[in-house]
Amino acid sequence: MKAVFNKEFKSYFNSALGYIFMAVFLLISGIFFSLSNIITQQPNTYFNPVLSNITFVFLLLVPVITMRTIAEETHQKTDQLLYTTPISLTEIILGKYFAAVALFLITLLITCIYPLILSIYGTVDVWSIVGSYIGFALLGSSFIAIGIFISSLTDNQVVSAVGTFGALLLIWILGWIQQSLPTSQKSGIIFAAILVFIICLIVYASTHNIYVSGIVGIAGAAVITIIYFAKKTLFEGLTVKFLGWFSLLKRYENFSMGILSISDIVYYITFSAAFIFLTVRMIDKRRWS
Amino acid sequence: MCNAITIKHINKLEVINLIQVENVTKRYGNRNALKDVSFSVNEGEIVGLLGPNGAGKSTTMNIMTGYISATEGNVKIADIDILENPSEAKKNIGYLPEIPPLYIDMTVEEYLSFVSDIKKLDPSKKEKNIKYVMDLVKVDDVKSRLIKNLSKGYRQRVGLAQAIIGDPKLLILDEPTVGLDPKQIIEIRNLIKDLGKKHTIILSSHILSEVSAVCDRVLIMNKGEIVASGTPKELSKRLSYSNRFMLRVKGSKNEIITAINTIEGLQSVKSIGTFENGTIDVDVEAKKDVDIRESLFRCLSKNNLPILMMKSTDLSLEEVFLQVTNTEEEEIV
Repeated sequence: MKAVFNKEFKSYFNSALGYIFMAVFLLISGIFFSLSNIITQQPNTYFNPVLSNITFVFLLLVPVITMRTIAEETHQKTDQLLYTTPISLTEIILGKYFAAVALFLITLLITCIYPLILSIYGTVDVWSIVGSYIGFALLGSSFIAIGIFISSLTDNQVVSAVGTFGALLLIWILGWIQQSLPTSQKSGIIFAAILVFIICLIVYASTHNIYVSGIVGIAGAAVITIIYFAKKTLFEGLTVKFLGWFSLLKRYENFSMGILSISDIVYYITFSAAFIFLTVRMIDKRRWS
Repeated sequence: MCNAITIKHINKLEVINLIQVENVTKRYGNRNALKDVSFSVNEGEIVGLLGPNGAGKSTTMNIMTGYISATEGNVKIADIDILENPSEAKKNIGYLPEIPPLYIDMTVEEYLSFVSDIKKLDPSKKEKNIKYVMDLVKVDDVKSRLIKNLSKGYRQRVGLAQAIIGDPKLLILDEPTVGLDPKQIIEIRNLIKDLGKKHTIILSSHILSEVSAVCDRVLIMNKGEIVASGTPKELSKRLSYSNRFMLRVKGSKNEIITAINTIEGLQSVKSIGTFENGTIDVDVEAKKDVDIRESLFRCLSKNNLPILMMKSTDLSLEEVFLQVTNTEEEEIV
């Protein structure tokens, strides 16, 4: 893993990619910092709103650091070297993931200068800023995991970048979508039924066995019926709850308020792990089909 | 003499199958890329996979190296199944794919160092290993240049260096000389021959002269199947009509045919036609293992029928190849 990590991290700086990422990220966060903390009517020391804004900048920049991770290997056929050496696939993906995360964290570390500057001229809420940074690091790592997963789906870097951007943007607006969704029991049941149907389709696509997917569908329908008679209230707001699981940003709000909860940290780490696992499975599946 | 036999005998006992491919089939949807391919390669052999483009050579190699899996069948490297214990099996393999897997933003030295790491070679011997392979493939003079600035020939050699590093028992080379100029082709071929003294090599090619120049044994593939195998000589002999000649003789057709018919050991004779005024071309086939060239000469000269041309219609490996890959219906023994 160390070898892949070193190689990937170095490659960010062998090409212009790493420099562009750092430059844009730091330039825009610098502008945000100046505009909201210094060059305003009332200079202040509230740094958290700035960090929240920077998360959006980072969202735009994630595709830059993840688009080539796997897509380029597939395109250049260098994956033939990686997959035919004794190193395991998980090691390769983890190496790539940590290299991208390292680039991100180093850049993030540089922005620590801003609250330091503020602390010279006033009092800053240290713990809420530290919380925000931890939250940002975890949120960013999850974004990167998604980007790497999408990079494994294609051998075209542009497709990978656009796909990642689209996926992250969708996660960004999930909060708004949630607000306007119906929360009645009926809608919950319909949503559960659609979910079971989608799962059946996925099962069918991966096994090509009509019986297995049929059994999954019947089992899903049975679960819905049992819940309907046993505890109807579970369906209330099910759609909103379900989408809430994917809303990475909602949990970030807790961090920026200075609330450090284990469940949120575990959530982000699980999210990254799940996407790394999916990436490994995806590549394996392609080699096995 | 006795000693020699004993040594030979012992050697025979020690020969082991380094790679064993058993009933490998690869399907993409409904299309069979490989159909029930089986072969094994003994330690120390240089084996050539020969076939037209799209015959399944690269697919076979990708399956042998564990890059992709087979739909059916299995591959064992040094008695280790490539799918059951991939990391152990892959330690025995050095693989040069059709397109050398190079990171063009790295220098040659950086690249080889990376390969040494992911092959999990002993880090204390890394420097020595890198120097050894760079000397072997002669890329020492470009070691600190970026790979993207190297010529095709150098890139190919760096790709070869990557496969050799760490001294794997088995080298699998997919069209190692494709796209090189004639001088480079000869260099790489000589290098492969040298490597063959220490390693077991499987190489693929669609160029016959290459395979016959380098390999001990040839497997001819076509449309996902192995259609013939043997040493280059065997293959050529097995499929050729080595006791068949074409003659151009001055004289009338009847005279010539009657004269030739008197020769002992003759299988058949037939006239092909006239291609030069006053001469007849005839196709003569002798019985198996009989050389009738001398009697042909004596007989015809006795009858005052001068031979203007005599040509053996031995098939070259090239013709064998074309014959094998074109006529699937014909059974090849």
